[in-house]
Amino acid sequence: MVVEAPSEFETQDLLINVGPQHPSTHGVFRMVLEIDGEVVKDLVPYIGYLHRGAEKLCENNDFRQGIGYMDRTEYLAAHNAELSYVMAVEALGEIEVPERAQWIRMILCELNRISSHFMFLGAFGIDVGVFGTPFIYAWRERETIIDLFEEISGDRMMYAYFRAGGLAWEVPANFENRVREVLASAQQGVKDFDGLLTENEIFIARTKGVGFISAEDAIEMGMSGPTIRASGVPLDIRKTEPYLFYDQLDFEPITANGGDVFDRYIVRLQEISQSIDLIGQCLERLQPGPITPERMPRMLRLPEGEAYIRTEAPRGEYGVYMVSKGGNKPHRLKVRSACLSNLQALKQMSVGQYVADAIIILGSIDIVLSEVDR
Amino acid sequence: MTTDETNGEAVEETPPDTFEGTLWPDVNRALSAVDVRPERGALDLIVHLPRKDVIRGLGMLKHDDELHFDYLRSLTAVDNEDEGVDVVYHLYSVSKNHNLTVKTTLANEDKVLETATTVWQAANWLEREVAEMFGVTFNGHPDPRPLLMPEDVDLSDVHPLLKSHPFAEIDVLQGEGLGHDRDAPGDV
Repeated sequence: MVVEAPSEFETQDLLINVGPQHPSTHGVFRMVLEIDGEVVKDLVPYIGYLHRGAEKLCENNDFRQGIGYMDRTEYLAAHNAELSYVMAVEALGEIEVPERAQWIRMILCELNRISSHFMFLGAFGIDVGVFGTPFIYAWRERETIIDLFEEISGDRMMYAYFRAGGLAWEVPANFENRVREVLASAQQGVKDFDGLLTENEIFIARTKGVGFISAEDAIEMGMSGPTIRASGVPLDIRKTEPYLFYDQLDFEPITANGGDVFDRYIVRLQEISQSIDLIGQCLERLQPGPITPERMPRMLRLPEGEAYIRTEAPRGEYGVYMVSKGGNKPHRLKVRSACLSNLQALKQMSVGQYVADAIIILGSIDIVLSEVDR
Repeated sequence: MTTDETNGEAVEETPPDTFEGTLWPDVNRALSAVDVRPERGALDLIVHLPRKDVIRGLGMLKHDDELHFDYLRSLTAVDNEDEGVDVVYHLYSVSKNHNLTVKTTLANEDKVLETATTVWQAANWLEREVAEMFGVTFNGHPDPRPLLMPEDVDLSDVHPLLKSHPFAEIDVLQGEGLGHDRDAPGDV
């Protein structure tokens, strides 16, 4: 909805500062809006408030210790973040991962995608102005998944459960039943959201046609994840460059053609259903077996080389570029943040929109500032 | 765990046909006007371009009909200490679904490069990060402010991701731990 001020009104431009501490910035993000009346004319984002030097820390710690830092870069989808890191170590060290460990990794990553997308739905509801109900619904669903993660790894957010070569330890004996329980609950959660928001007239009026970005611009800006799929680009690394056993599963990337805030919502909502289906397929194929390789050195030393591993995290492409020069530490470790690239497009999506819409456009990118700043 | 990664010298002796199954024939054709050296990476083909040609080369890779690298996955740098700083571009083609890594080496005393924002807008923030973290200057960058570093840090000589930048000491508050000096006088 591009709004032009009628020419008979002479208005003055006004600068407003939003953040870094503000509930609608999802963390410590600051933007300076230049507005003319209610319309955004310019937007300057400022990031870096949560920069902790995770890359430098990883370069000074050994390959096992780095897993913990990955959790802290992407705390809403820590399993997915760990996955890229351990896959990079495995690619450089040519470590074989047992089948069972791969399937469990897939189940946990998809569960993490569900919990992360529920988090988005709840927070997005608040951004749009439906305070209360969606947030509590989302929290209820996310809580059941986090409880399961706690039973498995012992921690609610910073799991550190994946290891180079497999997993830290075997999952509890009732794992499959517990996953099915969680899935049934999530299935109901999707229905609740669908009934609450998707057909809601006010919600549609707030989100349809807002924050448009075309497929060409999204590719040019390096966007990824649900944000680019909502613009009609079927870029899903699980499908385009399958890793783990995604090539054995039956699914198609979910896309929408509107490229607006509503489509980013609906893509995520459908992806929850898709993940539930994918986990069901994984459970069918899960067999007993070892979860770590037979022989793993206590202190990993990797040969010289480099690998850029990319996986499809809930927010898009989470890449780990690891350079080894021999030895027990990475020479260089770069985390490719999906949110950083998505956030670059914020200005383009927001200019010409209402101030209130700039907030929901930011919400629709679903940023995690600790991943942006690292 | 075996070492089959190629090192710098081995690559020059490798005959070109060992790059079968990679994008090398297409890349070689597209970059025929540029001095280019291939290397086999763990997943993707790596090509080294000389500094003066790198942006021209990236433009050719993007606009080539066969390769069509329209997506910049990542842009970063690697500090190789005495051997200078490598700037690394990870390219992807959405329509063709293939990857390429492009590298160029900058000498430590002259870390200047043309900006890649003229090729992909996605390079904007990524170059700002490399500039502050490694001290690389990107000529022609539309917005050369620091990205992540605090405003009160003088970035003319502080570049945290260079290997010469010290890693903060960890204070040991109690007991035996990292950095504990056993031989210190008066220590139990």
